[in-house]
Amino acid sequence: MAGPLEQFEIKPLAELSVAGIDVSFTNSALWMVLAAVLVTCFMTLSMRRGALVPGRWQGAAEVMYEFVANMLKDNVGTAGRKYFPFIFTLFMFVMFGNLLGMIPHSFTFTSHIAVNFALALVIFVGVTVIGFMRHGTHYFRMFFPEGAPIATAIILIPIEIISYFSRPFSLAIRLFANMTVGHIMLKVIGGFVGLIGILGVLPFALLTGITVLEFGIAALQAYVFTILTCIYLHDAIHMH
Amino acid sequence: MPQFDLATFSEQIFWLFVIFAVLYMLMSKIALPKVGEVLERRHKTIEDNLGKARALKDETDAAIAKYEAALAEARDAAQADIREATEKAAAEHAAKTEALVKKLSKKTADAEKAIAGAKDDAMKGVADAASDIAREATDKLIGVKVQAKTAEKAVLAIVGE
Repeated sequence: MAGPLEQFEIKPLAELSVAGIDVSFTNSALWMVLAAVLVTCFMTLSMRRGALVPGRWQGAAEVMYEFVANMLKDNVGTAGRKYFPFIFTLFMFVMFGNLLGMIPHSFTFTSHIAVNFALALVIFVGVTVIGFMRHGTHYFRMFFPEGAPIATAIILIPIEIISYFSRPFSLAIRLFANMTVGHIMLKVIGGFVGLIGILGVLPFALLTGITVLEFGIAALQAYVFTILTCIYLHDAIHMH
Repeated sequence: MPQFDLATFSEQIFWLFVIFAVLYMLMSKIALPKVGEVLERRHKTIEDNLGKARALKDETDAAIAKYEAALAEARDAAQADIREATEKAAAEHAAKTEALVKKLSKKTADAEKAIAGAKDDAMKGVADAASDIAREATDKLIGVKVQAKTAEKAVLAIVGE
């Protein structure tokens, strides 16, 4: 019986290295490719006819488009319009990654801190660059809100700096923890089903419930990841 | 925990960036413009149709207003015609009535004159008869023959009172 952590193991499928750095194509990369292919197929094949009155698939693709577009508009406003492709790609990539992870014996690339943190760091750096480009040195005001008494600076500025720099960590760790814990839980409870004979129906029922919950979490965490990105983007564009 | 195996970080991050970048390109260059275009086209079609409907409605409203105006005009004209006809008829009627009245009053006057003439003749006849009776009576009663002229004078003197 495989341990609950085995499902997270990175297995190289093709050894590769560039300039001495290991860039092997792994199961993680394979599932990323799958997610990207599925997202692309979903968004292009369903829109192939581009009908005025959408069918089922086209309707689904349009719903995703409008869902993310509205999320961006509500949280960032019209100034966020040009970041829409990035936000959309981010949401679909993370959500498909999470959902593909629900397939038994698949691999959940979003359960890996390296992937999540790399994404979060790109967002963090990008948002910071956007902030400085729009506001110049005024962007430092982020760390000391206007109107606050000068005496509070000594407490406020460190707190704001810490909260600002903890953004990529909270972003990455939230997704990693949710995905990892969910999958471990499924694996552990699934292990009980066969072990305790007829009583196994109890963990099986629980497992069924948790699976449903995990599907919800898969979508929800993609949403949370994206909406936090939108909020950071809002801060960078409009300050507080 | 495999998640903390630093040896796997470089390969994960490398492929993440490659695949995410490719997906980003596919989305931003191909997939999303198409969706946006379809949504835009639908929005435009709906707007166009609404605009068309609005124009048609305006046209209908204008036609209705025109029709109502024409109707009101026709009604006014008809009423004027009726009034005119009524007035004409009333005038004609009044003229006829007047003529009739005139004719009738003339007839009445003629008749009255005729009656008056007849009455005079009758009165004269009565006087003649009375003088005759008076002469006869005097002749028979006292045997005096009274001249016709005298008797007539005497009768007229009584009747004339």
